[in-house]
Formats: sequence, C-alpha cells, structure tokens
Amino acid sequence: MPETRILLKHRDEPGIEDIETYERLGGYTALRKALGMERQEVINEVKSSGLRGRGGAGFPTWIKWDGIPKNTNQPHYVLCNADEGEPGTFKDRELMLKCAHQIVEGIIIAGYATLSKVSYIYIRGEFVESAKMVRKAIDQAYRKGYLGKKILGREDFDFDLYIHVGAGSYECGEESALMSSLMGERGQPRLKFPHAPLPVIAGAWNQPTLINNVETYSVVPHIIVNGGAWYASMGTQGSKGTKIFSLSGHIAKPGNYEIIFGMPLLDLVELAGGVTGGNLKAIIPGGSSVPLIPAEIAKDFTLDYEASQTVQYRMRTMRLPVVGSGGMMVFNDRTDIVTLMLRTAEFYAHESCGKCTPCREGTRWLYKILYRIVSGGGRPSDLDILMNICDGIDGRSYCALGDAAAWPIMGSLKHYRHEYEYWIEHKRSPLGDNFVPPVPNRLNLNFELLPAR
Amino acid sequence: METNGNEGGHRFSQKSIAQLDEIITHYPERRAAMLPALWIAQREYDGYLPPEALQEVADRLERPLSEVQAVASFYTMYNFRKRGRHHLEVCTCLSCAVRGAYEVMHKLEKELGISAGEVTVDGEFSIAEVECLDFCGAATVVQVGDQYFGNVTAENVDMLLDQLRNSDSHTPVELADALVKIMTPGGSEAAPA
Ligand SMILES: Cc1cc2nc3c(=O)[nH]c(=O)nc-3n(C[C@H](O)[C@H](O)[C@H](O)COP(=O)(O)O)c2cc1C
Ligand code: SF4
Ligand code: FES
Repeated sequence: MPETRILLKHRDEPGIEDIETYERLGGYTALRKALGMERQEVINEVKSSGLRGRGGAGFPTWIKWDGIPKNTNQPHYVLCNADEGEPGTFKDRELMLKCAHQIVEGIIIAGYATLSKVSYIYIRGEFVESAKMVRKAIDQAYRKGYLGKKILGREDFDFDLYIHVGAGSYECGEESALMSSLMGERGQPRLKFPHAPLPVIAGAWNQPTLINNVETYSVVPHIIVNGGAWYASMGTQGSKGTKIFSLSGHIAKPGNYEIIFGMPLLDLVELAGGVTGGNLKAIIPGGSSVPLIPAEIAKDFTLDYEASQTVQYRMRTMRLPVVGSGGMMVFNDRTDIVTLMLRTAEFYAHESCGKCTPCREGTRWLYKILYRIVSGGGRPSDLDILMNICDGIDGRSYCALGDAAAWPIMGSLKHYRHEYEYWIEHKRSPLGDNFVPPVPNRLNLNFELLPAR
Repeated sequence: METNGNEGGHRFSQKSIAQLDEIITHYPERRAAMLPALWIAQREYDGYLPPEALQEVADRLERPLSEVQAVASFYTMYNFRKRGRHHLEVCTCLSCAVRGAYEVMHKLEKELGISAGEVTVDGEFSIAEVECLDFCGAATVVQVGDQYFGNVTAENVDMLLDQLRNSDSHTPVELADALVKIMTPGGSEAAPA
C-alpha cells in the first residue's frame, strides 16, 4: 500500500511557506467556507469525519469542540499542542516547518466553532526552525485579515493567535501541564476529571479551553473543504482518515509517512525501505510510551486505534495502545532489549515532573534496577521487583506519564524475559561479549545500591 | 551591555523592555509572561541566568524571587551556569542511541577534553546529553544554539567542530534571541529567512 498524502501533500512545494502559494493551492478556502456555516455545522462536520486526536490518546475531536459552553460571555481559549516531545515522533516538527499555514487555518476554524477570541500555540523551545515558520505564517495571516479584528469582514469574529515557547520539558506536552506552563508556572499537571472539571469547562485561567495537537488541527481544513463524509470514507471502523507516522531507528529511509489507518504494521516498514543492519527484532510502533512489538508477532498488527497489545499482571489484564503518537522506532537484531529499556527508563526518570510519588520514585527505581542489571549486579528477584514497581505506577500516578513509563517495561518483560534472565545470570548481553552497552549516568541519582563501577 | 539608566542593576535594554511589555499583553495575567521573560533575561545576561537575572524578572513581573527560581529551575533550557560559546546538546535518546549517539558523545568528550556538563577552559565549547529532540529520522541529532545538526556520526563530528570554531552563530544568546523574536508579533520580518 502506498502513502496517501493529505496533510503532507504540499511538503515539497517550493514557496509553500508563503501565504500566496498556500492560497494558490487552495489555502484558506476552508476558513471562508467555515465562516459561511453556522458554528454548530462546523462541529457537526468534524463529528461526521470521525476525527480523533493525534496527540497520542485518540480522543474524539468533536466531543471537545462541542463541549465548549455556548452562549456565555466568558473568555474561551484555543490551545495548540506543539510541544512534541515523545521519543521517536517528529511529525509536528515537519508540519510546522513545511505546512504552517495549514495549522494556522485549522486553529482559526476551531476558534470560530468554539466562540473563542484568543489562542496560543505552545511550541517546544528546541524547535527554533519550525517555530520561525509558524511565526511567519501568523504574521502573514494577520496581514491578510485571516487573524485579528473582524476576520474576513465578520463583525462577530475577532481572533488572535499567539506563540508561547517552552523551555525544555517533556511533561509540558501533557495538556494540563501545558496549561500550567502557559500560565507561567512549573510544568506540572493539574487535577483532572472526575476530580476537577474538564478543560472544556475550566482549563487555562479556569476558563473553557480547547486543546488539540498540531496534526489534529492540520486535518480540519481538509474536512471542511471536502466534507466529513469524505474523510470518514478512509480508514477503519474506529480510525478514520490518515495518520502520519515518523520512522526512525534501523530503517533504510527514515522520515514521515502519511498512510490511511488500517495499514499492516509491516507494510509501513517495507514502505520505508525495510530494516537495516540485520533482521527485524522489534518495533516500537507509536512513540516510547507504547510497548514494543517483537518481530515474531508484528505481522498480526495493523495501524489503527483498535489495535492493542494485552499484558497480564497478577489479576489484571491490560490492553495497551499501538498507535500512540505515531513515532515508530524500528530495531534490528543487534539491539539489546535490556539496555534499550534502561535508556527508556532513564528518559522517564529524567522527565518525571516530581509531583506524585509513584512516578517520581518509581521511575527512578526502574532506572536503578535496570542499571544494576547492565552493570553486572542483577539478581533473579529483580524481575519481580521491576514488575512490582510497574504495577505500583500504572494506574496510580497523577498523569499518564507514569503509566507510559511502566508500559514499555511491562511489555518487554512479557516478550523478552529470557534476555533479562540471560543478563542476570551471565552478567553480559545475550548479543555476545563485544556488545558494549551505552551506560548513561547523567542523572543525579543515589547509587548506593549499585556495585562500584 | 549598556544599562539604559535602569535602576537596581537591571540590564534589560529598551528593546527588551518593549518586547516584554508587548508579550505581557498576550495574556490575561502579567505573570503568564514568566517563560518569555526568562528567555529575554537569558538573552540579556549572556546566555544564562545569574541571580541578578532572576531578580530582574521577579521585579519586572512583580512576582516573588522564589517563584521565579521555582519556575526557571523546572525547565532544562534555562542555564544557571555560563555555557560554552557553542553549547553542544547531543541527543542520546532511543533512536539516536541505536545509531551511534554514545560514540558521538565519547568522541566529543575525547576531542574537547571535557565531560558532559563541562565547559572547555577557553570557553569555546560545552557539551550535554539531552533527551529526544524529535528529529529522530536524522539520528544522531545535535542541537547547537538555534540550530539542529542531523546525521552526526563519530566520523564526521570533527567537521562540525571545525565549522563551529569558525562561526559566530548558534550561540546560547542567539537561541534566546530567536525565541524572543518568535514570540513577538511581526517577528518574522525581523528574523532572517
Ligand atoms: C506525558 C505526556 C506527554 C504528552 N505530550 C504530548 C505532545 O508532545 N504533543 C501532543 O499533542 N500531545 C501530547 N500529550 C497528549 C496531550 O495531553 C493531549 O491529549 C493532546 O494534546 C490532546 O490533543 P488531541 O486530542 O488533538 O490529541 C501528552 C500526554 C502526556 C501524558
Ligand atoms: S505521573 Fe510523573 S509526570 Fe505525571 S504528575 Fe506524577 S510525577 Fe509528574
Ligand atoms: S532520539 Fe534523538 S532526536 Fe529523537
């Protein structure tokens, strides 16, 4: 199956960063069309498209849009999550770099549909190149009257779009932490539903707030121009339209690939030129937060929100996601899974915001124990301890970062237990003596449990 | 840097004050301009945030110093020590790790005679390990100031160092300046293409 480029259609078009080129290729006709529709009609179109959020959780987009209170004088905010930080994911970076106007147009339509006057795009501070393109797109859109006062002559539609840049924190991609960071605080999450109102009722500055991912907004103009039914004609029962997957790792042609939902996982690997440096060992299909899939069972998976992996722990059966953010990392058979998990654990330990105990302590313990195993000090009981810690984090942490830290390790313990056991028994990698694990030691952890290095 | 007659040892230039005033209007509360103000401070104070810089942000946003410290210390891109003129941030996260990021890191440490987290004696370079820069298709990725360098290997990293030695661009100040311009409406006209 080939690619189906909708969002990335114009990525190689020279001058696409200029508004004139974008308009010539049909840009901002969706906005004109939307402004000719009732606000509820716009939401209904998004509903019939079946669009689900592309930030990782796959939440139906229209429910958020429809949930913003109507007929109030409260300020409403529209936020665009461009804090892309999930390891393996680089689709939002390219969408901003190559197709910034598409995002801006989607945000303005969302603002119109939700009666909002102000919006912010929160871009991670590292993305300077991409953010410059968004700046340029916004400045041009103001000049053309697509942003600002009385947009396209509509007396009742004023709308501003500001850029807020982050300063280095994965956790700020979590929507409530993003709002904290936007309001000038530490990037820590806030109490969530059902313990607190949903963001659509009380989000940023306690006002109704819509938050979606860059890719989600990028889809909107296409839905408005071609209709929700057109979009829903692509994909599977529960996953409509196209999704961008970012391929990296041991892959011949790394990069972003836009495909229709439902494609077999291995077809996408083929599309990206196949595995390099050896045979396929495992794939992390949707960013570091989803568990890896071993080559032996990879043929059983398709890329859609329905696909999931089952993990058992004591009395609990969990179905873990496959698609996630679309950051697909491919690993060949020279990859040591235990070291890979050590590096994953290090990421989460470093990025844990520290607000809740299961994640703050648990991620560090996972890291310490994995570190002990690859330093040659592993004990047979370590595997149970790892699983126990994962169980202590999963479902018990304040935000989803904790769960995401536990899942990959739970998955690897299911599929690669023998590799852990080999490490513990032989104090070296099952890949052979020449294998030198990269031993990260950048965290300021307390290593008293570890043997001297 | 001139002080523009600022009281209390404040260092923000007139331009920075104007930019901060503009950015404050984007939010319903003054305090929301905390991250932008810290970026302006990092530009004005030579690429890092000494205690005076945090104090100036606290004064300008009318917030307690402790709050400014608490916020600034949460984020990894605010520097509390002076970095090298070129601060090399090597991504060693998953996709980069399996494509030789640690070899790049070790080569840099050897070549520059410093470890991750340190600055060379001449102040030219500093290195750090960072988490995923989300450009994994071009692993290994190294960020230097406002620029990403992709497909860096232990073999070609020398060329990168040579290029940087001869370049006045991609400094920590330039990174902060680029981000402030990005947050300023009309900033794209001022920014180079
Ligand atoms: C730890 C963590 C990090 C996240 N990072 C991002 C991110 O970088 N970008 C993003 O769009 N969503 C991210 N999310 C998901 C957001 O919380 C939120 O679900 C999303 O922005 C909603 O937009 P959508 O409905 O369009 O997907 C993250 C979630 C968690 C728990
Ligand atoms: S789960 Fe982790 S990141 Fe989320 S609130 Fe708890 S400590 Fe912070
Ligand atoms: S792993 Fe290095 S950029 Fe993502």
